Amino acid sequence: MIGNKKNIPSVVHLTFKKGEMIIKEGDFGISVYKVIKGKVGIYSESGTTSKVALATLGRGEVLGEMTFLHNDIEVRSASAIALEDSELEVWHPKMLESEYERMPPMVKYITNQSLNRLVRMNKLITHLASMRDQRERSPREKDPWAPKRAYYRKDVDLEASYRQIGPLAKILLKGRIKDISMGGMGLEVSAGNAVNVPHNPGDKFTVSSTLPNGKEIDFRAKIEVLNKEKAPGKLFLGMNFIDMSYGVRKELGFFLMP
Amino acid sequence: MTIEQFIYGYIAKEETYQDGDIILEEGSSGDWVFVILRGQVKVKKRTPKGMITLDTLKEGEIFGELVLLQTGRKARTASVVADGPLQVGILDNEQLFKDYDAIPQQLRSLLRSLAKRLVNTTNKAVSMVLEHSK
Repeated sequence: MIGNKKNIPSVVHLTFKKGEMIIKEGDFGISVYKVIKGKVGIYSESGTTSKVALATLGRGEVLGEMTFLHNDIEVRSASAIALEDSELEVWHPKMLESEYERMPPMVKYITNQSLNRLVRMNKLITHLASMRDQRERSPREKDPWAPKRAYYRKDVDLEASYRQIGPLAKILLKGRIKDISMGGMGLEVSAGNAVNVPHNPGDKFTVSSTLPNGKEIDFRAKIEVLNKEKAPGKLFLGMNFIDMSYGVRKELGFFLMP
Repeated sequence: MTIEQFIYGYIAKEETYQDGDIILEEGSSGDWVFVILRGQVKVKKRTPKGMITLDTLKEGEIFGELVLLQTGRKARTASVVADGPLQVGILDNEQLFKDYDAIPQQLRSLLRSLAKRLVNTTNKAVSMVLEHSK
């Protein structure tokens, strides 16, 4: 995005099925979401063993405003889950930044105070919920509908190198990341790579690559699915991340903002 | 907290209160926004088990701002009570609302959402405090 500041990203529309998770508490991201259709539930889960329902949002309502407005908060303070099939509009923070900067100082001042108050109330709730959980030591019922994580997936074409986690770690292999989300990626490699190093579901690798913004990332990933049919002479690996540092998670989180 | 200079430009009137005086009463209507110039206040909510204190606000802090951020709201969501001798400034509504109306609609919907979130979260906290005190 450097050197390209005038290029304001357009609004992205995303759809979620009932039960899918839109935002996960702790994720990096400062985009703002507006509900176009459906219903979205906001939950807090930090420090507690059970979710605390904070709010239900309907058409026209906005979520994700806290990380946008608060300079010191860059991770999501609550999770959002689609309670019905929903459609959301995503505003990239760049759309709002300059307008926010131009806001009259008094309105900004008042906004910041409301934010701080909200942060304090959220802490109070988390604290009370953890006390409640301690008190009710009895095994809690399992979440009847553990939400399915809906990762925002971006199509990319990034050069990647990878090595087996195992006895063949010496062999450096090359491939191209074709799509990536916070949960995993699609890696296209030459079928020849599998001659010397087995590529089977369950096999684990360390992977290095460079994001389009020049940031280097590395992580561990595991093959979930293997597709030989997609292109002749190629293997397409559906991989899940198994280990990723805080720094990489942050870089990737910001890269993957819708 | 020192009071920033630009705030003084908004103060239409100053008032002083004694310890325990109620400046805002939950449920009452009003559209003034206040700033604490000296002293501190307690933010309280009425519950079936009596008043509970949710927050303490100090010098430089604003209260009553929800009438601004949630346009159309008149009823106060909480009571604000002087905690010791108190001096507050009442902000010039006309200037304040003009400022607010001038910001783009998208941003305003963001602030409205923030205000709503604050109201909901506060109510949630109150119900959890009650549940906890059972």
